[in-house]
Amino acid sequence: MTAEVYPGTPLFQRAAAAFAACVPVNPADDGFFGPASVTWRLQADLSAPVSGLRSLLLQALHPLAMAGVDQHSQWRDDPGDRFATTSAYVLTVTYGDRAAARAAAARVRRLHEHVKGVDPVTGRPYAAGDPALLIWVHAALVESGLAAAALYGAPLTPAEQDQYVAEMTAAAELIGIPAAPFAAGGAPASVAELDAYFEAVRPDLATSTSTADTAAYLLGMPDVEPELAEAWEVLAAAAVTSLPGWARDMYGFGDARAANTGPVPGSEPPSRTEVRQVLGVLDAVYLGEPGVLEARQRITVRMRQAGQ
Amino acid sequence: MRLAARGGARYAANAPRLFAAAGEQRQQLRDDLALRTAQDVADTLGTMKGVLMKIGQLASYIDDGIAPPARRILGRLQDSVPPMSAELAASVVVAELGATPERVFREWDPLPIAAASIGQVHRAITADGRAVAVKVQYPGIAEAISADLGNVALIRSLLKMAAPSQDVTSLIEELRERIGEELDYVREAENQRLFAAFFDGHPSVSVPKIVDELSTARVITSELAAGARFAEMLTWPQEERDLAAETIYRFTFRSLYELCAFNGDPHPGNYLFEPGGRVTFLDFGLVKHFTLDELEPLIQMVETLCLRDDPEGFRRAMEGAGFLQAGAPIGTPEVISHMSLFYETVRERGPRTMTSEYSSTVARRYVDFKSPLAAYASIPRSYVILQRINLGLFSVLGAMNATADWRRISEEIWPFVSAPPSTPLGEAEAPWLATRSDPRPRSAGPVVG
Repeated sequence: MTAEVYPGTPLFQRAAAAFAACVPVNPADDGFFGPASVTWRLQADLSAPVSGLRSLLLQALHPLAMAGVDQHSQWRDDPGDRFATTSAYVLTVTYGDRAAARAAAARVRRLHEHVKGVDPVTGRPYAAGDPALLIWVHAALVESGLAAAALYGAPLTPAEQDQYVAEMTAAAELIGIPAAPFAAGGAPASVAELDAYFEAVRPDLATSTSTADTAAYLLGMPDVEPELAEAWEVLAAAAVTSLPGWARDMYGFGDARAANTGPVPGSEPPSRTEVRQVLGVLDAVYLGEPGVLEARQRITVRMRQAGQ
Repeated sequence: MRLAARGGARYAANAPRLFAAAGEQRQQLRDDLALRTAQDVADTLGTMKGVLMKIGQLASYIDDGIAPPARRILGRLQDSVPPMSAELAASVVVAELGATPERVFREWDPLPIAAASIGQVHRAITADGRAVAVKVQYPGIAEAISADLGNVALIRSLLKMAAPSQDVTSLIEELRERIGEELDYVREAENQRLFAAFFDGHPSVSVPKIVDELSTARVITSELAAGARFAEMLTWPQEERDLAAETIYRFTFRSLYELCAFNGDPHPGNYLFEPGGRVTFLDFGLVKHFTLDELEPLIQMVETLCLRDDPEGFRRAMEGAGFLQAGAPIGTPEVISHMSLFYETVRERGPRTMTSEYSSTVARRYVDFKSPLAAYASIPRSYVILQRINLGLFSVLGAMNATADWRRISEEIWPFVSAPPSTPLGEAEAPWLATRSDPRPRSAGPVVG
């Protein structure tokens, strides 16, 4: 084995570099969430990689979101870069001070201005800055954080879940979703509103070859080294298992209504213990990258000083 | 008695890397990051991380056999474990010894002085005034690690990644055994007692005595030892380093041949040095016991190769122990030329210097799967740990750049020679040797014919 094929992989290295860079050493303020927030805790939870993979699977089910990504991003050419960019954004908004979060959001909004077109599958026009699409992406991310933590992380109480959804409206507003109550076009601000949102949006969702390709790509992860492939399989199975039943139905991932069904029909879902063990190993690899341990200590110290 | 006898140097070396901070602020940060609950312990050392750290420790004995990125990751992981908070450590003492540390001990230092792999060491003074080191195990660590050890498939792929040239199956067995032993402080204390009793009265080897009434499955209390750390000893004059190395060598092979036990962890962190060659041996978490039957072939190999110059006898001994397949289509001269490197320091009399270069060469040869012997060679289970630790010993002595007539010292120790003392330390050892009763397990007859 040589260093080149080891998980000093671009994926890990870039995600780690983003993490080290986005957790500020001397923040001007506590940012939009702060060390006492549920958002900080959930972002640092062991289940975060499952949450990330799950939210990508979920987000791909909206044809217009899928079309925007397909037509305007070369993510498949360089998935490591795309993951790093996305996670850098989420991390800056979460842990950065307000100025850093606003600057990062402004950059993404500027990029979104050019992302528009017509979805070849539905024939509908789309624009990345459309609040309806932004809410979809936001809601998928928020709901995935809750679902992954419930199954594989440190579960939140119902009150903490509500608090998380409410806290995350700050991120929604940064990206351009109206700062309004959910009923008036804003982002969901409670678990009940989140549930209501998914009920309402489901008729807009659809699968296509593009969705299937994306899912196959994410779950198969051809860029993962052979040694990590088994670990990635467990992670992929966890992400699929944690999807809502309707989303699994749309993808055809096993029978969601049957108890204990894994991603492939008839298969066993991975156990919580097994998933956490794999997550722990990935976390250790991540910690091996420069700056990650220090960044994590910065977060822990601030959270503990805030009484968490 | 000053509690600072052991200093905080070791802890600092193993402490989590704290970003830009010094003095009081650093202490504040350490407190902020401390493990405060059993859940913190599980989060930090469960989910495979404790197991990975153990793989890292094993890997440190197979220097060249480990992929460099894996070495970096495993080393970093070690840095990531903060100490227990004073409250959490105290809670373990309460659970194990029945009262708070302040009640159990006359004095208790709530700041740990050293990080042990699955616990930490505190200084204390007992009610009857003895200065002691109290090793306190992280609560819940046994459960967390045992659960992770059950995931053999994952461990297998981790080992394949970390040490691609190694025999994964034997490594897994070794890992499981090793972790099981380390989690059981009762066994560790028993081993330490055995070594302490064996070396009692020895002029240069010191093993801290266990304080029985303050030792349990999760807490070990032993005499507090004083001395310089490995790094400091390396700054001493070469004569002092040579003496220290000789003591480590005598300790290792006296215990192997006469106690039929091999103390693991020939790790720089597990020694304390005093001038004149006096060495205190710490940490008996890994001790391999041999039966006489297991030891016999090893002795025969040394005897045939180094004393009798009997290549065929050497080969037969290797085959008998299972190191080499009987009837392997490979010439005995080739076997000898491959294996003699391992015996290079003791084949002939005369001063020889242990160097890092030599220890790396030995380690490389050890994992050389391209050698003509490789297809027919293997290391039977009961010798795996011995071989690894052997490499560890060479690497410690190599780092000390130690010179001695290892052959003549060995002749004193080899049971088939039992030569008279060849050095001043050997002379000093004589009275101890004369009074010591033979502790070898009596069963399989004499060790050598």
